[in-house]
Amino acid sequence: MSFELLLGAWVATGLTLFIFTFLYEDNPLFKLAEHLYVGISVGYAIVKTYDTVIIRLIYEPMVKQGDWSLLIPLAIGMLMLARYVPKATWMSRIAFAFIVGVGSGLAIPRVVSSFILKQIEDTVRPLASMVQGSPTFTYSLTDPGSNLNAIILLIGMVSVLFYFFFSIEHKGPVQVAARTGILFLMIAFGAAFGYTVMARMSLLIGRLTDLIEYAEPRYGRPSLWLAAVTVIGLVLWSMKRRPQAEPTEE
Amino acid sequence: MTFAERMLKIDRRIIFAVIGLCTILPLLYPVGLAIRISPEVKAVHGYIESLPEGSVFLLSLDFDPASKPELYPQAVALLRHAFKHNLRVIGMTLWLPGTGMANEVITRIAEEQGKVNGKDYVFLGWSPGGSSVIINMGQDLYKAFPTDYGNQPTKGLAVLTGVQNLRDVSYVVSLAAGTTGIETWYVFGKDKYKFELGGGCTGVIAPGLYPLLRSGQINGLIGGLRGAAEYEVLIGQKGRAVAGMDAQSVTHFAIIVLVILCNVFYLSIRKAKQGQGHGSHPNVV
Repeated sequence: MSFELLLGAWVATGLTLFIFTFLYEDNPLFKLAEHLYVGISVGYAIVKTYDTVIIRLIYEPMVKQGDWSLLIPLAIGMLMLARYVPKATWMSRIAFAFIVGVGSGLAIPRVVSSFILKQIEDTVRPLASMVQGSPTFTYSLTDPGSNLNAIILLIGMVSVLFYFFFSIEHKGPVQVAARTGILFLMIAFGAAFGYTVMARMSLLIGRLTDLIEYAEPRYGRPSLWLAAVTVIGLVLWSMKRRPQAEPTEE
Repeated sequence: MTFAERMLKIDRRIIFAVIGLCTILPLLYPVGLAIRISPEVKAVHGYIESLPEGSVFLLSLDFDPASKPELYPQAVALLRHAFKHNLRVIGMTLWLPGTGMANEVITRIAEEQGKVNGKDYVFLGWSPGGSSVIINMGQDLYKAFPTDYGNQPTKGLAVLTGVQNLRDVSYVVSLAAGTTGIETWYVFGKDKYKFELGGGCTGVIAPGLYPLLRSGQINGLIGGLRGAAEYEVLIGQKGRAVAGMDAQSVTHFAIIVLVILCNVFYLSIRKAKQGQGHGSHPNVV
């Protein structure tokens, strides 16, 4: 096994265990791992951005291939830095205006088309189907395209819209519709929460799978050694902190 | 203090320990619970199966290491399937922090399947702009990515023969942990350049993507570790996702039991208070 893999296993194991110590209590080991995470993430982003944007997308095409047209976007981008010069701050507005204008122009029609028109189109589905010239009604709850699901979707959409309709008081039939909307909302929140729990558990499973793998002898059993080190570190930290903490509690 | 009151004030670290045990024991001693394949995962698999050999498959790994446990197994399964099916694979990412990881997974699986860089696959790396990158690729792929991750010029690569822009790509799958991701690929890519789009995502964002699936805006969706496990079963190569499914089931069961117990304790306290004639909220002193 290569040295890089071995080192990676030990570092990953140590940092995972340090982060897990937060489940016991906030402590210096957790803070060390947390600060390393933030620092390394930012450092990595700076280096990759410099290499990709400055070197590969600007310097090399201009200097090696003579594509000097890149000076135009470069100049517009550089105007952003004018914000740091009080007298020239106004120049940065040109860059912002360019970004906002182009961004909005590109995004608004596409987003309206994709998320509003297309979704409305999908909501308004036939409530009964024509099969061989005669109307039929499909009852399958597991088939998203069934007529029963089309009705449920329609009721859900209309009732939720009623719930968010504040121009009239929710009384009588409007109240019934709004309360039905709450039911649909609760089901949606429940589904979203269920998926979130699943996702968080998946993250835990991922880290524990790594810790189990790194407990193998071919890695030098970093999980076991570093777990012992972490526990000893936590115990020592707790013992050191206790005499200082007691008088303040009184 | 009654038993129910003591239980509701239990040290949260005991619950952490219970969940930890429920996760680690099935990982150490798997029982192999059955995995049912959902239609949305089958749709992604089926579409790749339907592509003729040599078709161009673009995999956008739009996630960072924070979502690795869920999306990395999806990437592994999809790449294995695409390489086995002799598709030409283009890898890329719209997430800067995931660049190194994306390169690692594509290179490792390609080597495992005996594929050659530049001939059978290419990893384009990351380019700034998110949605602008997709628009740029839709017009001219070589302008968006003049070089690949290894700084080799993309023009002239055998794997990109006949590919000028996104219209020449047979299938795009975005493995996304948020935005920029599947929605961006639909809005700025598929809607305009008319390629088929599938998705893989973390569990957190999956419910928000189901409307796109139902409306046919994406043709399939692999949701979280569960989706990855289903895909591993479909390609007949069980990996980390399948191994994690027992633990997932046990932890979910434990959470359901804890929720039920909490409600039982809460209701019993409320009933006791009402019996004493207080009738107030049990937590109000």
